[in-house]
Amino acid sequence: MNFLARLLSSQHSTAVHKTTGGITPAHFKEHSLRSQIMPTPLPEELWLSLKQRDGKMLESLVSVGDRVLKNQLIATPTTAYGAPIHAPTSGQIKEITAKHVVNSFAERQLHIVIAVDGQDKFEPLQPMTQYQSLSASQLIEKLHDQGVGGLAGTDFPTPGKLNLTMQSQTQLLIINACECEPFITADEALVREKAEQIVLGAEILQQASNAEKCIVAIANEMSDAIQALKLALANSVIELVLIPTKYPAGGERQIVQAVTGKEVPSGGLPSDINVLIQNVDTAYAAYRAIVIGQPCISRITTLAGTPLKTPKNFEVLFGTPIPFLLELCGNDVLTHESTIVGGSLMGVTLFDDNVAISRATNCVIAASLKWFPDLPAELACIRCGDCADVCPAKLLPQQLYAFSRSQDSENLEDQNLSDCIECGACSYVCPSNIPLVQYFRASKATELAQVQQSQLSEHWQERYQYRQYRLKKDKEESKNRKARLTKDRSTKTDSADFSRSKAKADIAAAVSRVKKRKTESALRKTQEAQDVTGKSQT
Amino acid sequence: MTRLAITSPRQTNARSVSRLMAILLFCLSPGILLSCWFFGIGILLNILIATVSALAFEAICLIFRGKNPKVQMKDLSAVVTAVLFALSIPIGMPWIFIVAGIGFAILISKHAYGGLGQNPFNPAMTGYLFLLLSFPLTMTTWHVPIHDLTGSSISPLSIEGIRQSLVASFPFLAFDSNISTALIDGMAMATPLTEYKLASPNALASALSTDTSLWSRDASTGWEMVNIAYLLGGLTLLGLGVIRWHIPLAIIGTVALLSLAFYSSTSAAITGTPYMHLFGSATILGAFFIATDPVSAATTPSGRLIYGVIIGVSLYSIRVWGSYLDAVAIAVVFGNFWAPMLDHFFKPTSYGHKSKFSQLVKGLRL
Repeated sequence: MNFLARLLSSQHSTAVHKTTGGITPAHFKEHSLRSQIMPTPLPEELWLSLKQRDGKMLESLVSVGDRVLKNQLIATPTTAYGAPIHAPTSGQIKEITAKHVVNSFAERQLHIVIAVDGQDKFEPLQPMTQYQSLSASQLIEKLHDQGVGGLAGTDFPTPGKLNLTMQSQTQLLIINACECEPFITADEALVREKAEQIVLGAEILQQASNAEKCIVAIANEMSDAIQALKLALANSVIELVLIPTKYPAGGERQIVQAVTGKEVPSGGLPSDINVLIQNVDTAYAAYRAIVIGQPCISRITTLAGTPLKTPKNFEVLFGTPIPFLLELCGNDVLTHESTIVGGSLMGVTLFDDNVAISRATNCVIAASLKWFPDLPAELACIRCGDCADVCPAKLLPQQLYAFSRSQDSENLEDQNLSDCIECGACSYVCPSNIPLVQYFRASKATELAQVQQSQLSEHWQERYQYRQYRLKKDKEESKNRKARLTKDRSTKTDSADFSRSKAKADIAAAVSRVKKRKTESALRKTQEAQDVTGKSQT
Repeated sequence: MTRLAITSPRQTNARSVSRLMAILLFCLSPGILLSCWFFGIGILLNILIATVSALAFEAICLIFRGKNPKVQMKDLSAVVTAVLFALSIPIGMPWIFIVAGIGFAILISKHAYGGLGQNPFNPAMTGYLFLLLSFPLTMTTWHVPIHDLTGSSISPLSIEGIRQSLVASFPFLAFDSNISTALIDGMAMATPLTEYKLASPNALASALSTDTSLWSRDASTGWEMVNIAYLLGGLTLLGLGVIRWHIPLAIIGTVALLSLAFYSSTSAAITGTPYMHLFGSATILGAFFIATDPVSAATTPSGRLIYGVIIGVSLYSIRVWGSYLDAVAIAVVFGNFWAPMLDHFFKPTSYGHKSKFSQLVKGLRL
């Protein structure tokens, strides 16, 4: 029966290649999937981060006290790594101030704070009905203007990605719906409810990337979502591929491996092998940006965890504070121990809950001791190799761990530390409870610091050498000047006489010039007077 | 609401080192129990003495190293070392030898190198080798049920059998010194391997040809049955994912191939039969339980295969052409020497990198 079913389904889907490593942790997905995606009421404030992916700041177009309308452009990117921000609702700019962000510990960054007025007054939308006739670059420009992209966690703006693939002729566009991390159901809920719009969005993205082929890759356990997609894809050339459910099947590199059987070169991007990957979220946002004309101002975010009475998926405006969302779900403060942004395996535990939903926030978990007990003490590594078996990048975490501890940067490089995608599968299986990923992050940071240090020392060495050169040059010059001066002094009277006579000549020339100009202007005046009288006579 | 930094991932599975070690001990238990059935409780006494002394040494070391023994000793690694050591040494070793061997294993081979995870050599096997080099005679005297030699009907598990075992382990318990030494001498007999190694070819040939009844409570049969129990335990370990298939397969495969290649009916007395090499010796125990000690073994998949082949080749060579009786300990420690180098040269090709071959060429160029 199983074989038969596979035969039947193979008509719909292309063969899937084997991916390396991976784990199958408990899902914890069923709770948030019970209800439909809900809109949230308007919060009192929205906090919109001005940080771009490359660490630079967006340029704010508003100042404190300004009134903004929904969909109004309020900040523009300064480099290719940023997306423009549109006001998610109407209100007044309360302040532009530093606030905590998710991904860095205790670090604060500039945010635009909008005091929401609750009226939700909006600028009219500009739908593009004839988008099929647009060229790829026109579509990309439009997507950029609407702020599409960065919804898949990496915060990489879609137009930038599309531009990148424009240069390397894209053969394959993969729409990624393999949401494999426990707790996160935002993509699954979206596909379940908006499959048709996603397919339209996928077609727009295919048009924008000039991809020859488009595939929707979805985890094979999302049965409702698969059904919805199959219906929506009935009359489309876009193919559906079912990816075996394991973590991290939805990683960019893993999806490429599963769909194409090829590997993205180390240090490279999928565009290096002519593949473009976009999240279903992005496809949906592209549909809204082009067909409806709605700028990207919201996303689907999962709220999960035992302290929440009603875990579910929300359509959340960017900038919505996380405490507001937790309260909305009936958060039980007594059992709520900590808040995780993201899934349970790659998510960041918040240092401070007062953080806003950003483009990349696909899940917020209210963690309790029931599902997230304190981890037992770290024990010695016995090199059992469980970690190597589950590593999707085919690294040897047990060796990386040993070299991380001894800070052996040469061997770390030899073991391809930089290829670690920090998925956390190794830490998940480690029988000694070693936080392996944390060791690798620390080692990566040390490596980076060393590189920066050496660059800095090179820079200072250069400066020093330049200074030495300049001092030497100055010395030589002053020596030369002295020599010239002494030489000058010997011929001083001659040159002084000469200059004095020259000055006399100059003065005489200037006086003659002034006289000449005066006579000329007098001549012109009389001529003009004659012209005026002549005109009046006629 | 501010908190300390907690890092991802927040979710882990239920496996722990102590659980892995407990599974390992569980998988050893059928072999141990069968050993008792065939050879008396001597093996249990071995295990008891070894475990108690190992835990004592471990606790002392941990306290001196400033660790918390209550937390660190939960990993059961000392118990596993003790049990493997106790299974390797002859049944009915006097207790003081066992304590000395375990002392070397835990103090020198394990903690002197930095404790669990840091030891380059298998502690149980280095403890064994320490005893083998220091007390070669005691280490090659195997005690087996007396009825094999005398035809008497003392069962290993009868009161008399247990008394004999106790006397063998704790010589001071023997009040009547004349009887006890006679008994011990009477109980001393070689393993099938020793027999083949030291006995005349004719005697071995006859032993091999007549020994067909599997369920008779006879020394060589006992060894076969115990080995089959170890094999089942080892396969269970594999099935539960505690060990990987590479090392056992490579060792058993290499020993089987070599013994087949050098086997001929005329020279069986010198080279032994493949059957004897696999089931009449410690090959199975070594391949599944000893050589797979992850700390001292190679840790990459291809490295593990080569590590297993190295152990298999040295195992067979030492047995057939060397002067030692069984060679698991020597072969495993010899393999341990290779492990770091194998790990360096035989890395799997990481995702997005070029093939293994070019990496090997690059590695050799270093």
